[in-house]
Amino acid sequence: MSAKVVDQTNYEPKIIMFACNWCAYAGLDLAGTSRLTYPANITVVRTMCSGRIDPSFVVKALTDGADGVLIGMCNYGDCHYINGNYKAMKRFLFLQKMLDDFGIERARVRIEGISASEALKAKRVITELVEELRRLGPLKIEEE
Amino acid sequence: MAESIRIGVYICHCGINIAGVIDVKQVVDHAKTLPNVVVSKDLVFTCSSVGQNTIIEDIKNEGINRVVVAACSPRMHEGTFRNAVEKAGLNPYLFEMANIREHSSWVHPDDPEGATEKAKTLVRMAVAKARLLEPIEKSTAEVTKKVLVIGGGIAGLQASLDAAERGLSVTLVEKLPVLGGKAALIGDLVYSEKKGWQIAKELIEKVVTHENIRVLTRTTVQNVSGAFGDYRVSFVTEPRYIKETCMHPEKGEEVCPVEVPNEYDFGLTQRKAFFKPFEGAYPPTYVIDMSACTKCGLCLDSCGKETIDLDAKPLEFSEEFGTIIVAAGYKPYVPTTGEYGFGNDTRIITLSQLERIMSENGPSFEDIGLSNPLENIIFISCVGSMEESDNTDARTYCSRMCCSSSIKNMLKLRELFPSSNIYFLYRDIRTYARREEHLYEQASKSGIIFLKYEASNPPEVSINGKPSVKVLDTLVGKRIQILADLVVLANGMMPPSDILKLRSLLKFPCSPDGWVAEAHPKLRPVELPSPGVYIAGSIQAPKDIIESIISASAATAKAVVPIIHGRVELEPLVSYVNEDICGACGICVSTCPYDAVSRVVLQDGRRVARVNPRLCMGCGQCASACPSAAMQQKSFTDEQIHEMIEQLVV
Repeated sequence: MSAKVVDQTNYEPKIIMFACNWCAYAGLDLAGTSRLTYPANITVVRTMCSGRIDPSFVVKALTDGADGVLIGMCNYGDCHYINGNYKAMKRFLFLQKMLDDFGIERARVRIEGISASEALKAKRVITELVEELRRLGPLKIEEE
Repeated sequence: MAESIRIGVYICHCGINIAGVIDVKQVVDHAKTLPNVVVSKDLVFTCSSVGQNTIIEDIKNEGINRVVVAACSPRMHEGTFRNAVEKAGLNPYLFEMANIREHSSWVHPDDPEGATEKAKTLVRMAVAKARLLEPIEKSTAEVTKKVLVIGGGIAGLQASLDAAERGLSVTLVEKLPVLGGKAALIGDLVYSEKKGWQIAKELIEKVVTHENIRVLTRTTVQNVSGAFGDYRVSFVTEPRYIKETCMHPEKGEEVCPVEVPNEYDFGLTQRKAFFKPFEGAYPPTYVIDMSACTKCGLCLDSCGKETIDLDAKPLEFSEEFGTIIVAAGYKPYVPTTGEYGFGNDTRIITLSQLERIMSENGPSFEDIGLSNPLENIIFISCVGSMEESDNTDARTYCSRMCCSSSIKNMLKLRELFPSSNIYFLYRDIRTYARREEHLYEQASKSGIIFLKYEASNPPEVSINGKPSVKVLDTLVGKRIQILADLVVLANGMMPPSDILKLRSLLKFPCSPDGWVAEAHPKLRPVELPSPGVYIAGSIQAPKDIIESIISASAATAKAVVPIIHGRVELEPLVSYVNEDICGACGICVSTCPYDAVSRVVLQDGRRVARVNPRLCMGCGQCASACPSAAMQQKSFTDEQIHEMIEQLVV
């Protein structure tokens, strides 16, 4: 693990968002076509279903330099693959306990149902997470 | 020896859509520094033929074997570029997109520097993934040239007829003993010279005489296996228990001692266990309701032992179909006992029940013990619709047909009882459809009194000799009390009771309100996410007859396409198992929502998981559940996603 050197005075959090293709990713696309704006701190990795998002992806993102992670799934009842979002949520709840064990603030990892039409929600959630992470400051993971 | 990876990166200006914010040149230069990138270019419009040709030429001339385009959303142009790559002779899945328009330039117009940095990160991620992409062979499957229609209401009838007219073989199954659905129970319709039962009858006649349609009543779907193009469906047909040789079934009905509420009159009347559903019903035969029959044998005595078989066995069979149209309809909301006095007085009925009374083939007011003339008639709107509740399963939706249906019946009651006072206690008047606003106008002019109530302050109904209705009319701000001779509760529509069974058999999602969630509400309104399965009529949401017929024709237009093509393309991005490390724990088997994963025994006796690529829909839920990383999803492998994550901070 490489240690990062962070300029505390000019700190901008880096966030990875895992988004399912059908809802959250499409919601972000709509934010774009609607010309909504949000901070550029977030980079999206697309999966077909939120049920593909392995908690280890989140842990890897945090250890590899992300200050926060956002998981975007379909709202309940909307999953293109029947129930992948329920699985994503279940895994997220386990992950939260793991974060506690690691000493990582729960607020750094967030899960949200964002439908293909909820561009405003996408903007709000991203903006809130960026603000929260600015408040929390950089994630420090000590090397073993 | 592994081939050497040669990646071509193309950064799109999209006119000024991207280049107006992002410093494209910087991104191009950044891509040049990335390992395996041999070509990095910017293009004004990459999706144009000039742009696509540049990529094709580079594949041919520069030996590019992986392509990355940084442009708009893959949801927009991934298909376009995959086709271009394929045209150049490269496998179309050796292509990756970075979304720097919707996810960067358009959302960060005031932060060109941030947008440019983000574009670089997105390109780095796409290149990292591209390095690990593997070719995927597209596979197709043959389509069985038969359509299954589930539900024999007007939507199912219309869908069957449309498919049969296209020359396709259709099987129509209906769980009830009769066809025509709810429409067959209705008399006058809004602005139609034909009555509901006449429309149903005409459709039924065309369907049952059509050489391409096989109609099966009392038949339900038991199981669905197989996959798109070749769904294997098993059915069970319940017998009628009365043979066609029975010449006088009415005698059997007469002697039958069992009486139960008649569901075809929505409980207004009683019927026997040995019964004919309603006058004019098709098929016009009697049937024994085995759930009510006590097997007393009285009908055998009057009809003859050889014509009745109370121990007839259900018939089980299965068939293959290319596509399936679900037209299972709706069920009317039944108010709970005491809701607006429902169940406490025979003068309080639902709108569904009133439709039966007003229909030529239903009971009369006298039949249900209401004597003429009716002086005060009150309709209450939105019973079981438009609920204001935080419960996720609340019926918050508008049932759409009740306003028009109520007003239509008020005008008819006005003709029947010219001296009556008719009141409509409403929340909103939604006579939304073409020509229906006239009806509202006509009702207002004819002296029907409209009293608006608020959801927070609904009418109260008590029984005081007669039903007594109290309401706060919000428009005049006065509390009004009326003694009624008839109270009609305009009950809404609900998803059919078998939707849960169909949902688990055909694997489709439902919205929290219980109705079917279509593949896309605007772009694919009659398709379900499961390929080859379509929806027609009011199983989707409350619809009137016109809308049901339209959606049935639309669903059929879609459902015949794969059959006419003859072959279907299967999902390419399926999961697969690395059998060397699979421990056969079976977590993937229970995780898969499509039953696509099963455990098999290898020749050496070892058990492993195996994916049926015909059933796999490519969600990847199994891959994240696998504890040993043996299960992977094509184009979304752990390794590929890990590589992308590592590119965030370099």
